[in-house]
Amino acid sequence: MAASLKMTSARPGRFRASRLLALLLSLLLPYLAPMGSALAQGPLDGNFQIDAAYIVLDHDVLELNARIRYPDNERIRNALQDGVTLAFDVEVAIARPRRFWFNATLLDTTLRRELTYHAVTGRYLVRNEASVEQQSYATLDEALERLGNIGDLPILVQSQLGPGPWQVAVRAGVSRGRMPSALRALMFWSDDWHRQSGWYTWMLTL
Amino acid sequence: MDAHALKRAALRLLAAVALCAGLAALALLALSVENSATFTRWQPWILLFSICGVLALGVLLTRKLWQLYRDFRNHVPGSRLAMRTVWIFGSLVIAPLVIVYLFSLDFINRGIDSWFRVEIKQGLNDAVVLSRAALDLRLREQARRTDSLAHALRTLSGTALLSRLEDERRATEAQDIIVYDAENRPIAVSSAASTPEQPGPPVPEVILQLATGRPYVSLNPLANGRYTITTAAPIGVGPGSAPDADADPAAGPAVAHGPTSYVLINYMVPLELSALAEAVQHTSSQYGDLSAVREPLKISFRLTLTLVVLLTLLAAIYGAIFSAQRLTRPVQDLIAGTRAVGKGDFGTRLPLPSRDEMGFLVHSFNDMTKRLRRTSEEAARSRQAVERERERLSIILSRLSTGVIVTDHELVLHSANQSASSILASRLESGLGQPLATLAAGHPRLSAFVAELGQRLSAGVLEWREQLGLPGESGQRVLLWAGTPLPDERERGLVVIVFDDITALLAAQREAAWGEVARRLAHEIKNPLTPIQLSAERLRRKLLPAMNAEDSLLLERATHTIVQQVDAMKQMVNAFSEYARAPDMQLARFNLNQLVSEVAELYRLQDPSAEIRLALDARLPEIEADRGRVRQILANLITNGIEALAGRPHGSVEIGTQLQDAQLQEVELQETPGPALAAPASARGVVQICVRDNGPGFRKEILGRLFDPYVTSKPRGTGLGLAIVKRIVEEHGGRIEAENRPEGGARVRVWLPLSAEDRALLAGVERRMELRRERA
Repeated sequence: MAASLKMTSARPGRFRASRLLALLLSLLLPYLAPMGSALAQGPLDGNFQIDAAYIVLDHDVLELNARIRYPDNERIRNALQDGVTLAFDVEVAIARPRRFWFNATLLDTTLRRELTYHAVTGRYLVRNEASVEQQSYATLDEALERLGNIGDLPILVQSQLGPGPWQVAVRAGVSRGRMPSALRALMFWSDDWHRQSGWYTWMLTL
Repeated sequence: MDAHALKRAALRLLAAVALCAGLAALALLALSVENSATFTRWQPWILLFSICGVLALGVLLTRKLWQLYRDFRNHVPGSRLAMRTVWIFGSLVIAPLVIVYLFSLDFINRGIDSWFRVEIKQGLNDAVVLSRAALDLRLREQARRTDSLAHALRTLSGTALLSRLEDERRATEAQDIIVYDAENRPIAVSSAASTPEQPGPPVPEVILQLATGRPYVSLNPLANGRYTITTAAPIGVGPGSAPDADADPAAGPAVAHGPTSYVLINYMVPLELSALAEAVQHTSSQYGDLSAVREPLKISFRLTLTLVVLLTLLAAIYGAIFSAQRLTRPVQDLIAGTRAVGKGDFGTRLPLPSRDEMGFLVHSFNDMTKRLRRTSEEAARSRQAVERERERLSIILSRLSTGVIVTDHELVLHSANQSASSILASRLESGLGQPLATLAAGHPRLSAFVAELGQRLSAGVLEWREQLGLPGESGQRVLLWAGTPLPDERERGLVVIVFDDITALLAAQREAAWGEVARRLAHEIKNPLTPIQLSAERLRRKLLPAMNAEDSLLLERATHTIVQQVDAMKQMVNAFSEYARAPDMQLARFNLNQLVSEVAELYRLQDPSAEIRLALDARLPEIEADRGRVRQILANLITNGIEALAGRPHGSVEIGTQLQDAQLQEVELQETPGPALAAPASARGVVQICVRDNGPGFRKEILGRLFDPYVTSKPRGTGLGLAIVKRIVEEHGGRIEAENRPEGGARVRVWLPLSAEDRALLAGVERRMELRRERA
């Protein structure tokens, strides 16, 4: 079902302002020095990649299956035990490539899950934002293992695809979750608890 | 598009970029705070727009500051006021802004630190520990109870087992009690649910824990905020049989469990305890989330505050400069307008900035310049009118026959018209600004005039009206002159002198008077002469025969004397009558040279001692004139010359004729004194008869009245010779002048026209000459 796997650093058809921003950020270097040092020893350092991803057609429903390897280190463990909530996002996009224009986006959805440490019970909780589903795990490894395995996640009905070809892109991200929106706005340039994998893309054939 | 317009467009674009970037950053920020995914996507753009806004504002501000500094250094009008205003505004903005900034930094540090105080963290930890301890107590109780149940179940199987499980569930208020065999299959279940489901295998951690031989106990939070306690304990080897794989757990186990079977119980934690524990957990979790962002939060607050302060500061300073420039622009306009007015540009109009006091000031300035312009235009019109009047006056003065000069007490010539030059026989127009004494050098008439004028001015006489006699080549010239100070030029001492040459006028008056005298004399004297003569002759005729010789001789002598004297008186009366009478002329063409020769020959015969020389122009054509009267002219002039030479050795009279052009004659007359110009060979129009002698010349006292009747220097002359000559010449339309020769002797020149046409031409010249004289 899955074909032409390819890892890219940039999602096709989108302009990233990060490079231009990097130049301008240097103007705020004195203020950004603490953040720079934090980035050098990022709390989300470690192996973070999508090992495999594919789509299964089950009764006209496209279902995503993916195997994601999330970073695991003491800082994450300590942060969780200190009460920090981490958000694990999986962004799925299906687009129809066009030669002389931007690609036509057919699907752009995000699966968001949260991982917290339950201090009273001493267990790790995984919640899915889209549902009330919640699982608890005795260890962080078990929780990350559960988060890294995405199986049969329905994403689209086949009739919505339209004519091909279709390019599928999957990207995973980890960030600090459950933050007040006002505080998120204030911290948008100093939050080092944010990391994204590269885009995992392939051409979908059905 | 020129460079200035390009620069202005670039500045407007930059200002638009700053405004749009700032607005875009704020809009994106406002839109993205509600959605973390959107925020994550737009985060770089927000920062990019913010920095772009700050940079654009910085560039604009830098340019404005540079403009201010440059204007201040170049002393541009209004720059000091603008700089002072910016300084005041900037100080008013920067000082409180810096204070607020520093206070806010300290407040942020202290505030954020106060959120995460150690006591709070410790309290939360204690609450968590307390909650866990409370739950642990229940955990241990449930674990102990599960272990007891497991021991009790060793000997039970089948219905007894199910019954025991049901009893236990009811007694402990457990949710589920499940007995698993060694393959983790449920063999007996007791559930509080009304429709119990088939239980699945336990979670792996239960199996792993039991595999170690120890009981399993765990506390699990649920999504609804409740807690469950899950316990499991091995049942051990019982006396019963092997488990029945086909048995229905719901229907109750039919067989006893094996050696590795175990029981799993799910308890629900009481609602009150769950709520308290969940509250502690929620607070602890929130605190953890916040404390994790403590330092980044500080940095974020500082950065945000700094950026906001920076934007505010830049915007405030830019606004201050903008306001200062807007405030000082009318002042600059006023200064520039004042300078323009100072340079004479009264057309300056300033734009009205507003309706406030500055607008009123600008309006007043515009009103002032409008009035000034109107006044200036009126002054210009008046000046033009004065100029036109002056030009008109100059033209009138130049055409005026009256001489007008303006001088000061130093006798420096300020103004003079053409008639003044003509009357004073000098060129005064070219000597404006020079002393009159300098101009008078070589001009005797002007010298006498200047001397007389200087004498009066030095005596303080500024107003007079008198006659003035000036010397001339052909006699004395009489001027009627008047002087008066100029009313507006008393400080400069300017005096205007107006004078007319009234010589001809006086001569004409004298001539008219003498004509009248002659006519009356002729009329009054001639009438009694004839009776006297007749009476004398009758006396002689009647008495002579009766008288003796002596008496008759006496009578004869007396009557002869009477008759002779009466004849003499008749001749004199006839001469007067001839002078007063103007008989018709008998014009005829004749050869003037021949006539001159005949008359000269006649006088040579009468007085052989007289040397009469002729200098006749052979080119002279026949002249159209009254031959008899021309003969009388020649006779009178020759008689005068010969009589003047009486008793003088080597005396001679020279008679010359010369053909001249009428225009030339006018030039010659104008150019006096100076040499007479020779007439060209082809010229026709005027013949000049010149009679000169080497006698004593005319007496100076009668030089100006030579042609008046009864003016003579001879003892026996009637004084009518030259008067009659002049009358005849004028009857012919000619002209006569008498003067003394520089080398001695007298010279009388007569100009007669050759023909009637030439007479008209000469009459024109004469009229012009006469006009000049009359003007004088």
